[in-house]
Amino acid sequence: MSSNLLLPDESSSQTLRRRLLAIAGTIILVATYLTLIITQPMGIVEGLGQGVALGTFAAYLAAAVLLLLAVLPDLPVSTLTLIPVALALNIILGQFVGSVMIPLYIDSIGTVIVGFLAGRRAGAATGVLSTLVWSLFAPTVLPFAAGAALVGFLAGTAARFGALRRIYLTPVAGLVAGVLVGVVSSPVATFVYGGTSGVGTGALVAAFSSMGDSLLSAVTKQALISDPGDKAVVFLVAALLVYALPKRLSGSFAFVRRYRVLGKRVSK
Amino acid sequence: MPRTIKLHPFTILAIAVAVITMTTAASLWWLSCAVMALCLLIAGWAGHLKKLAVLSGAMLLPTFLSLLLIHGLISRDQSPAIAQWGPLRVTIHGLEVALSLGLRTAVLVVVGLLCGLLIDKHQLVAAIDLSPVPPQLGYLLAATLFLLPQMAEKQRQIGEAQTLRHMGTGTGLAGWFQRMRLRAVPLVLASMQDAQDRAVHLSARGFPATGSRTRLRTVPDSSVQRGIRWAALVCAVLGPMLILALAGFGSR
Repeated sequence: MSSNLLLPDESSSQTLRRRLLAIAGTIILVATYLTLIITQPMGIVEGLGQGVALGTFAAYLAAAVLLLLAVLPDLPVSTLTLIPVALALNIILGQFVGSVMIPLYIDSIGTVIVGFLAGRRAGAATGVLSTLVWSLFAPTVLPFAAGAALVGFLAGTAARFGALRRIYLTPVAGLVAGVLVGVVSSPVATFVYGGTSGVGTGALVAAFSSMGDSLLSAVTKQALISDPGDKAVVFLVAALLVYALPKRLSGSFAFVRRYRVLGKRVSK
Repeated sequence: MPRTIKLHPFTILAIAVAVITMTTAASLWWLSCAVMALCLLIAGWAGHLKKLAVLSGAMLLPTFLSLLLIHGLISRDQSPAIAQWGPLRVTIHGLEVALSLGLRTAVLVVVGLLCGLLIDKHQLVAAIDLSPVPPQLGYLLAATLFLLPQMAEKQRQIGEAQTLRHMGTGTGLAGWFQRMRLRAVPLVLASMQDAQDRAVHLSARGFPATGSRTRLRTVPDSSVQRGIRWAALVCAVLGPMLILALAGFGSR
């Protein structure tokens, strides 16, 4: 039966189209990443350096948009109304944390909450949309859309496999997600921007670079220092906020009931 | 009083994409500076000069400092150093690389921010709704843009209420965490409850609707603008290829 009683069920051609979009998005992302890692273009401003920057930017953005188009029509209305709240939470809580000089970004709490409550596809869509909306105020975040999608996807995956049933597992899942996100996002920082946009992170990259690392290696090491800690805190805070929700509310999400995301906290 | 530009939002975005890609591909300092100067002129005409300058400065200052640290102060190329202290090695080439990368990011930031300031958010939502993209996208963009000020206001009110109760006044990391908890928990709970209520109403009205709908808001468009959009998109894709190919032949 259709999730919305007033709408007809989707046809098999629509399902096929969405699968093809998702496969195309994933292939573009993986192919771009592997190409950059294997070839490691040398000059970032000379010769084809500009082409590599534009290609990386376009490929990461295109992959994220294709994944979004594949997922979006599939989401139930309860998830669609949750996503704008999550996007606003990303921005407002991110600003609150940024205003008190704590060395964390915490700009993906909303994305992780959606991943925990509505699953990995909804989490990935929230990550991409969050980046697209935020790019209206900060254009440099645009090529990081794929990384943001990965955060939401991994949050949904962690919830599906029981990371929220034991509170101590949540930061561990965040640490793992942070490592993967750092690894996937570092080619963008390297080949599109030639490093990082923060002075503290720039100093770390410079330190690794002075020890003989290539730029990609230095940026990846910096990301592996910054991202896991940030994502561990974000996953933990998001889990505590999900625990604080009334059972009636958290239990209204089919994903939470189906995979017993909160264990005994929500009756089936 | 800020002026508005009577252009379709997609026209502004297409021109911006073409300008960014071609300026990045060309990688000429004077062209990047000229593009940014033109953006500042347009912002001045539209009454957004101060806002554009402040926002761009806030984003670009740390970026330039970071690039100076990475490429300018720790240069690893073989050219003679103009200064050297321990691991720090400054070369002309390193400084040029830092400046070139900084200008590349600066064009993206200034052009992108100008787009955000010039485009009317209501028109953008209407244009997305009228385009063939899934209708959910228009709803999500509209809902986010209109929820943001509401939730920011709600967060401010929660903060005031907690201050009146003399809660969350501690200092240090524990005080920060308490303030974060006292503000975030009520904000998240109230927002999630609102979202669930909204879902019921939207479902009852058959959202997302398929087929064409009549909109009260129209987005001004013309065949000239459609032509400009196509030309800009062709320039955005083929322009950089042509510029890079010409640069390749020139270097040989």
